[in-house]
Amino acid sequence: MTDLRLPHAIAALRPHLAEIVAGVEGRLPYAAALLSAKQGLRISVNDREEQVTEQSPSAGTVISAFDGVTMHEAARGGFDRAEIERAARELLRDVHPTGGPAIDPGPERHGDFVTPMAIAPDSLSIEEKLDRCRALHRRVRAMDERIVNAQIHYTEIGEIAVFSNRTADLAQRVQRLRMTVMVAVAGPGGVRYDWTSKDATGGWEALEYADDELRRVIDNAIALLSAERIEPGEYTIITAPGVTGTICHESFGHGVETDMFLKQRARAAGFVDRVVGSPLVDIWDDPSSPGAYGGYFFDDEGMLAAPTRIVERGVFRRGITDLYSAQALGIPRSANGRRQDWSRKAYARMSATFFAAGATPLADLFAQVDRGVYLTKWSSGMEDPQGWGIQVTCRYGFEIKNGRLTGRTFAPVGISGYVPAVLQSVSAVGDDWALDGGGCFKGHKEWLAVSSGGPHLLLKARLG
Amino acid sequence: MLERIVAALQARADLAGWSAREIRSRQVQLYAVPNAIEARRAAMSERYVIQILRQTGGSDGSARCGDGSATLLPGDDIEAAIDTAALTAGLVQNQPYGLPEPGALPDVPLADPQIQSNAGQVLDQLHMRLRAAVLAQPHVQLTAAELYAEEQTIHFRNSRGLEATQIGTAIDLEWVLLCRDGAREAESFVELRRRRLEDIDVEAEVASRARHAADLLRAGAPPDYLGAVVLRGATLATFLNGGVIQTLASAATKFAKLSRWEVGEPVFHGQADGDPLTVFANRRLPFGNHAGRFDNEGQPAQRVELIRYSQLAAFTANQRYAEYLGIPATGDFGDIELPAGITPAVTLLDEPHVEVVDFSWFTPDEITGDFSSEIRLGYLVEGDRRTPFKGGALVGNVLDALANARWSAETGFFGDYQGPHIARFAGLRVAGGEV
Repeated sequence: MTDLRLPHAIAALRPHLAEIVAGVEGRLPYAAALLSAKQGLRISVNDREEQVTEQSPSAGTVISAFDGVTMHEAARGGFDRAEIERAARELLRDVHPTGGPAIDPGPERHGDFVTPMAIAPDSLSIEEKLDRCRALHRRVRAMDERIVNAQIHYTEIGEIAVFSNRTADLAQRVQRLRMTVMVAVAGPGGVRYDWTSKDATGGWEALEYADDELRRVIDNAIALLSAERIEPGEYTIITAPGVTGTICHESFGHGVETDMFLKQRARAAGFVDRVVGSPLVDIWDDPSSPGAYGGYFFDDEGMLAAPTRIVERGVFRRGITDLYSAQALGIPRSANGRRQDWSRKAYARMSATFFAAGATPLADLFAQVDRGVYLTKWSSGMEDPQGWGIQVTCRYGFEIKNGRLTGRTFAPVGISGYVPAVLQSVSAVGDDWALDGGGCFKGHKEWLAVSSGGPHLLLKARLG
Repeated sequence: MLERIVAALQARADLAGWSAREIRSRQVQLYAVPNAIEARRAAMSERYVIQILRQTGGSDGSARCGDGSATLLPGDDIEAAIDTAALTAGLVQNQPYGLPEPGALPDVPLADPQIQSNAGQVLDQLHMRLRAAVLAQPHVQLTAAELYAEEQTIHFRNSRGLEATQIGTAIDLEWVLLCRDGAREAESFVELRRRRLEDIDVEAEVASRARHAADLLRAGAPPDYLGAVVLRGATLATFLNGGVIQTLASAATKFAKLSRWEVGEPVFHGQADGDPLTVFANRRLPFGNHAGRFDNEGQPAQRVELIRYSQLAAFTANQRYAEYLGIPATGDFGDIELPAGITPAVTLLDEPHVEVVDFSWFTPDEITGDFSSEIRLGYLVEGDRRTPFKGGALVGNVLDALANARWSAETGFFGDYQGPHIARFAGLRVAGGEV
């Protein structure tokens, strides 16, 4: 068992959770407890100022009690044992069994887990972290005189969770880190900017920038000064891993969250074992993906992390589940029951969602494009599980002619289309692979850390 | 606990200033799926946020300062939290600034007594109303609903003697209407946030969204179109709250050299054939989603005229950036308000146009204003004929669109926006067609 040092209040409450759960299950068919704490640090350094602030923390306890139909939850800030026992008694007073089915608590599982790190954030002082950010800022700033402001943003989020039910006693500490470099340049038409990020569940070793990576973000910002709007139409496109991942995330990520099946909001529900894309398309969700920013060891409903194959050679196989929808639909669970924090319910949510790598070198993808656009940077995306529309907004795209970049830049570039049509159009899959970390909402709320990615793809889509 | 925190902060000689907020929240939540209540939740929390300011000397001996913050839960170690915040503040070397002076705090109505007295009952009744309203629309069914009600109380203290309290309520609603025709399905998704029950007309919203769901079933491919585009109500509010005005009129953005707006200068640089634009950033809007008597640093609520006749009149600034730029402090942006336009809505709708009813997600570039946003539902309107379409993208620039907008004389309140309920934008593009 990993040596996981829990905060005192959590460590003190943990041994009593089994008894609290058992007390609730004395009358109701299923109960569980979750202790959840998130805290972190943000450092920002730019040309004109510095900021060091705490990442808005959250800490609280959830007692869940299932009556056979409805999941009742009492959520309390903090980890006070007397308060939690009072909340459990209130649930017992107010909730009555309906005679509905019980929930399978899962196999016996016990363990403590910690994100492996070479340079753990807590091994560095805040001053050392600030100095590292200042040093990176100085490196960027010295690279080009056209920069009007360079910004370094560092965030670390430490997530601690303890889950207990009849068959589980699990604890984890997941450490998420992210370092973003943003560069603003000015021209006659105004200010333009670009950014690049590195992220991980891991330590500072994942946040090192090479000079060519910094040079690229400056060059892209400068290219935006002369960017044009793209002529709307259908294009052959090559998507870099971040854009590939966003297409994946918005199509067969959100589109296969099985709580949406239950709510009759997902067209994919009627497509299990049916063709939804090119045979080159393989899509996975894997919270156990090493180092993935959206990864974890177990979900907020006590399911141990494991990969889920969503699309297999173009055929939709299964969705990703939370406990309630899996129970209601009678389908196997996956480790995707996640909460924004203790104050919100669990939904079926993605972790690290990606296209599997193919066999085509990037140069061969370019060689297949007579006229097209290379999309390397996404800025937002939105799901439409019911209508299977897709929106991915890219910060910019580079024109390709006869297999080569022409130097012409378009910005912004929106990708839209019908999900199966877009996935059917995938004609080649790169032999590279990378994940891009970020945040994900369900609709416009319920923020979570996720990763999306894959290889370069060659496909067709409507741009505008 | 707030008193003990304040006493501990007052006892520190190394702080140039401090504030402390006690934030208490009570929430109830109800989640419905077809034929069942999926979940009921009750969440309560209490936390204390301290912010401190310290003088820190620069390496060249110049006066500098830094700020730090810490959040405590009941029972946490107060001294340790202050030490952490002070340590952090001591590392930072920024241009000096101070805390806001105490000012008169306006009374801004923020709370609904019904929610305060029994939030759970309010949600149950709202859910019943929602179900009844959907039953009155036989061509649709309710497939999901999420209802939240919250009461939040904030006590504020700072080292300059400001002591204030505000209590606010909020209701968040989401629901989904599904319309079926044989094997074909279409849904309409609704999300609303209001501070009081009275501002939510569930029945009217259901009727309107039921029509949208039915229209989606017969919607065609998007046209390739260049011309007038109409936005109304909540969709117009989404457009105005997309972040472009908020970012470019922010003193923080100006200080970071990311905004080129200047007070007294036009905010538009291209052709501007629309109605002159006037915009208020309003934290005094009664029951506005972002309204409040005071903000997180204790700035009293203001109604700030940001843009007057298409020229920038002021930046929004907290105390720090106000001092940096030598301008008045306004505090947080709040909600957006526009005065009534001069043209009756019926006139704005008279000529052919495209109306966008729903975006997938309207996310313009907040610095340039450029956008390309997928259309969930739109109409090509010619006289009485409204032809629905879905897909494609509305493409343009927020500032160019505002420069060429005409605003309705009729106004409304939409939670985070008060103003004309219809805007007609000239010369926007719909990138249509199918792959």
